[in-house]
Amino acid sequence: MNKWTGRASSLEEWLEFLKSNEGLMENVTHWRTLPSRDPVYAPLPADLHPAWREALHKRGIEKLYAHQASAYAAARRGSHVVAVTPTASGKTLCYNLPVVQSILQNEEGRALYLFPTKALAQDQVAELQVLADLMESGIKTHTYDGDTPPTVRTAIRNAGHIVVTNPDMLHSAILPHHTKWVKLFENIKFIVIDEVHAYRGIFGSHVANVIRRLKRICRFYGSNPQFICASATIDNPKEHAERLIGEQVELVDNNGAPMGEKHFIMYNPPVVNKQLGIRRSSVLETQKLAAMLLKQGVQTIVFARSRVRVELLLTYLQELIRDKLDAKTIRGYRGGYLPKLRREIEKGLRTGEIRGVVSTNALELGIDIGQLQACVLNGYPGTIASTWQQSGRAGRRQESSVTFLVASSNPLDQYMIQNPDFFFGHPPERALIHPDNLLVLIDHVKCAAYELPFREGEEFGSEPLADMMEFLVEEKVLTHAGGRWYWMEQSFPAHGISLRSAAQENFIIIDITTSEHRVLGEVDRFSAPTLIHEEAIYIHEGVQFQVEKLDYPEKKAYVREVDVDYYTDANLAVELKVLHVDKEQETGELLRQYGELTVNAKATIFKKIRLRTHENIGSGPIHLPEEELHTSGYWFSFSEEAASRKSKNEMQYALLGIANVLVHIAPLYLMCDPFDIRVVPQVKAVHSQRPTIYFYDRYPGGIGLSERLYEVHDQLIRHAQSMITACGCLSGCPACVGPIEEVGLLGKEQALQLLREAGGSA
Amino acid sequence: MSGLRDRMNRLRGVSAEAGPSASDSHTEETTVPQQPDDKIIEEAADEETLHPGFEAFGVRICRTEWGPYLVRRLEYPLNHRHGTHALGELVEAAPGLAAFHEEAGCPSPQSILYLDLETTGLGVGTGNVPFMIGIGYMNGESFVIEQSLIRHPAEEYAMMMDLKRKLRNFSYLATYNGKTFDWPLVLNRMIMNAIGSSPWTPLHLDFLHPSRSIWRNTLTSCKLSHIEEERLGIEREDDVPGSLAPQLYFQFLADGNPEPLEGVFRHNEIDLMSLACLSIRFGFLLQERIFERIPFPEEAEELVRTGLWLGRMGRSGLPEELFRLATLSVTAAPSSLLKLAAADKKAGNWDRAVLLWQKAIVQAGEQCHEDASEACVELAMYYEHRTKQLDLALTFAQQALERCQLAGMEGKPSAKQIAELEALQNRSARIRRKLDQERSRKKDEA
Repeated sequence: MNKWTGRASSLEEWLEFLKSNEGLMENVTHWRTLPSRDPVYAPLPADLHPAWREALHKRGIEKLYAHQASAYAAARRGSHVVAVTPTASGKTLCYNLPVVQSILQNEEGRALYLFPTKALAQDQVAELQVLADLMESGIKTHTYDGDTPPTVRTAIRNAGHIVVTNPDMLHSAILPHHTKWVKLFENIKFIVIDEVHAYRGIFGSHVANVIRRLKRICRFYGSNPQFICASATIDNPKEHAERLIGEQVELVDNNGAPMGEKHFIMYNPPVVNKQLGIRRSSVLETQKLAAMLLKQGVQTIVFARSRVRVELLLTYLQELIRDKLDAKTIRGYRGGYLPKLRREIEKGLRTGEIRGVVSTNALELGIDIGQLQACVLNGYPGTIASTWQQSGRAGRRQESSVTFLVASSNPLDQYMIQNPDFFFGHPPERALIHPDNLLVLIDHVKCAAYELPFREGEEFGSEPLADMMEFLVEEKVLTHAGGRWYWMEQSFPAHGISLRSAAQENFIIIDITTSEHRVLGEVDRFSAPTLIHEEAIYIHEGVQFQVEKLDYPEKKAYVREVDVDYYTDANLAVELKVLHVDKEQETGELLRQYGELTVNAKATIFKKIRLRTHENIGSGPIHLPEEELHTSGYWFSFSEEAASRKSKNEMQYALLGIANVLVHIAPLYLMCDPFDIRVVPQVKAVHSQRPTIYFYDRYPGGIGLSERLYEVHDQLIRHAQSMITACGCLSGCPACVGPIEEVGLLGKEQALQLLREAGGSA
Repeated sequence: MSGLRDRMNRLRGVSAEAGPSASDSHTEETTVPQQPDDKIIEEAADEETLHPGFEAFGVRICRTEWGPYLVRRLEYPLNHRHGTHALGELVEAAPGLAAFHEEAGCPSPQSILYLDLETTGLGVGTGNVPFMIGIGYMNGESFVIEQSLIRHPAEEYAMMMDLKRKLRNFSYLATYNGKTFDWPLVLNRMIMNAIGSSPWTPLHLDFLHPSRSIWRNTLTSCKLSHIEEERLGIEREDDVPGSLAPQLYFQFLADGNPEPLEGVFRHNEIDLMSLACLSIRFGFLLQERIFERIPFPEEAEELVRTGLWLGRMGRSGLPEELFRLATLSVTAAPSSLLKLAAADKKAGNWDRAVLLWQKAIVQAGEQCHEDASEACVELAMYYEHRTKQLDLALTFAQQALERCQLAGMEGKPSAKQIAELEALQNRSARIRRKLDQERSRKKDEA
């Protein structure tokens, strides 16, 4: 440690210094050093085309990692492949090797690459172009997306060997116009799907159907392409890929990439009020750790779980390091920033000009930002898979890296930080999709019929084709003639169908501070009522704006820059109605059911919360229309005996306490965004008149999350019970059943009692 | 099956009694008696019999080796007048159309195929089906119109195969927006029916683009139906608008009654004849026979645009005459004059350009007019750079600046206005500097 500058000469030295800092170390609950891993190599395949071999030499690639060689071999055998690789392990070669090889052997061959975002696609094309130039092979790679100029589109359709696009473009532009892509579809040999783990939930369910349509079009042109998928580490890569593409796949997971030593430090903010179990804010602690790293000159990425947190942290950090670094060297990054700004930030990170970035999980995907040295997670990212993905952003091949997981007071974070073995020993979550969600399926059957008439006897999804066809004939969009069903309607079905829920219905945020109005960013429809209601404080790039007018029908929010010392937080009131019970089971005093329900949600009031102290300093009403949702849900009810043992009030607190725990541990069994699933307790449920806790998928028709929870119900209840028991607080805290202001002085006991008596025997 | 509907209704939040969703666009179909679809298809698929309703407007079955479809064939004598022109004028006009494809020589009137589709939707997606294909061509002493109709999509294959067979007899394809719509759609259907992706490579005569070049500012719309009315003297009676055609066809699919289709046939027929007349108009225009065979445009804007378009098509005689008329016009809009001036400037025809700019300023009068400022700027540039008459240049630069400032005072100036203002201030300042330098040099010399 240089005593003049306070700077350590290396990250290792700084970590040693950290170990001697007692004040900080008190809060470190676990420090695990993951040893560096040596590479496992394999020779370049013997059958590799000389030009390809030469190009790889020029790129300094003399040998492969084991998993790259395995992926190549599997693809050459003709299998569909899914390769599982951590961040920065050279996964692109897993698919580029066989694809380029195949095009070099047969110039007529074509390949289609799918990436979940435009940014990822652009990175990939840049890389492929470098390789093609090295080979002087004339292999043409192009992105085809909304930004592609019309003048080059025709050339790409006819001459592009590798067309790189995203599922949305495939869905709305390529498939409905497949006759313009005859060359591609007649000669397509490979379909590469990168980041398959990103295709989960409703988005994944849509994409699985787009792939069904893609395969149908390929069959029409007489081709039968091979799929090569790449995935981050998840629990069920093979099963997930198979559900997504509807084919058997060969799993490649023998990762041979080296990794530098990795320090994984779990950090729990100190308790400031033992009685109430309140800890210091994780935002403040994150900010402290990140500032320490940045002042050391360590390039650092901070992940936060919400847009608001990103902006809060960014504001704090830019203030803190103002005397050491230019504010422009620390940036925010999240959905809602416009693409140009994002590209600029990504580039700054690669070149090292930007020293720190605060991001939502938007940077979790494989966007090329180079490898950083340190990662600070503000709160547990929600899934083990995401945690490893985010942590993988720090870690260069030869050097040590460090990841801090700063726990928030929510129960899941506290559970993780107190049970490090659960985190390190447990496989990451399962990616779930439900391609046969009836609404999703019917949408894509329409698109498929538009693209190509359905023949009798054809199959599309699990629903009998004849039933779907008959339904759509009645709906007057199809006509039946000569043993086929034809699209017979004026509209273009793909236009009305968005693969990403609400993506097409984003609200635009317009800054009217100066006379030159400008678009600041956007917010999805689900978040709009709670984020940009009138009077809400919307924070963008660290600057506060107040929403002056929300034009709900036009989906526009007008904001003006303000300087206030609070932020806003909105409440959502929810009503539930059970429509249909599909499965049920009774154990002890507990009845659990799975089925369909409707949810009516309405934003009611918002609170103003003072920055830093987080105290409530006022509130106001929100006047916005109610949203209705039909979805699948899982719920369990306690018996009347159980109900009779408690007063209404006690039951209220007990249920609320259990719900608070469950909402945080449910994601342990699912791979989903915390917002994808909701938990609602009711003392006297409308459908059963009993105390009930509901879970529901936040998408019309459901996406399989509640169903999975129904299956793991017993584990879930046991888990909740052990977590409440293990918590060190006296009578409830934010880390288990919730703070006593919310669940009362006896909330913890009541919740535990209820679980023990009614469900605990399970 | 009703299970599926119930489930869909539940998910969509529609009560079961509400029946089929009314969200689809052709709701008036509810007035049609509801018949089970299967029965209708059986009727339609009875290939040998033709619904008697079709005979009423001359439709018959066309049996081919690929299956049947319906055709309505009409022959018009060459002296048949459709608005201003008789169809037979094509014989005289066709050679003029050579200007579109000089390399291919002189088109004979018999080598041109006129094409117009009626489709089930918009755009060129694979689900948009041309249920009616209208073609027209000259054959001996008559102009023939053949309109094909499919009774259901399964007849499309026969219709497309037959069309492919006919295409070979022609070299030119005349359409209105056919380059981006009708022809790509025909190609789509060829591919969808596995007939091949390039059945024929036509020389396109797409009259949409020339029409836009000429009438963009003088007609409120460049739709064929509007142009024919305003410029070709054609009046349609009881026309079924093209936009209604899909709904009428869906209705026919639902109830099998051909009657409403008569209007669609008639609409398509007139479209084809109007298209032929438009080609006659352009043929004569390209032969520069404007005063002889076709009326000349009245408005300066159209004179200028016609002249400029003819110039681009390699014609040189007539444009000059049209331009002369335009400059003489007392009602010429400043924008028309500027357009011509710009062409003159490009061609180095400075004398007339200066005249036109000055005239544009006069026409604009005292109003703050963007065109007037533009003319002032042009003149300022001309005097500054070409004739080096700096004092004149300054006068016009100042005038432009004043007009621009005046315009800026109406409400809040836009970013563009601010930029313009700055540019003008710079221009004036520069000319002043040059003037000062010149004066001091003259003084020195003196």
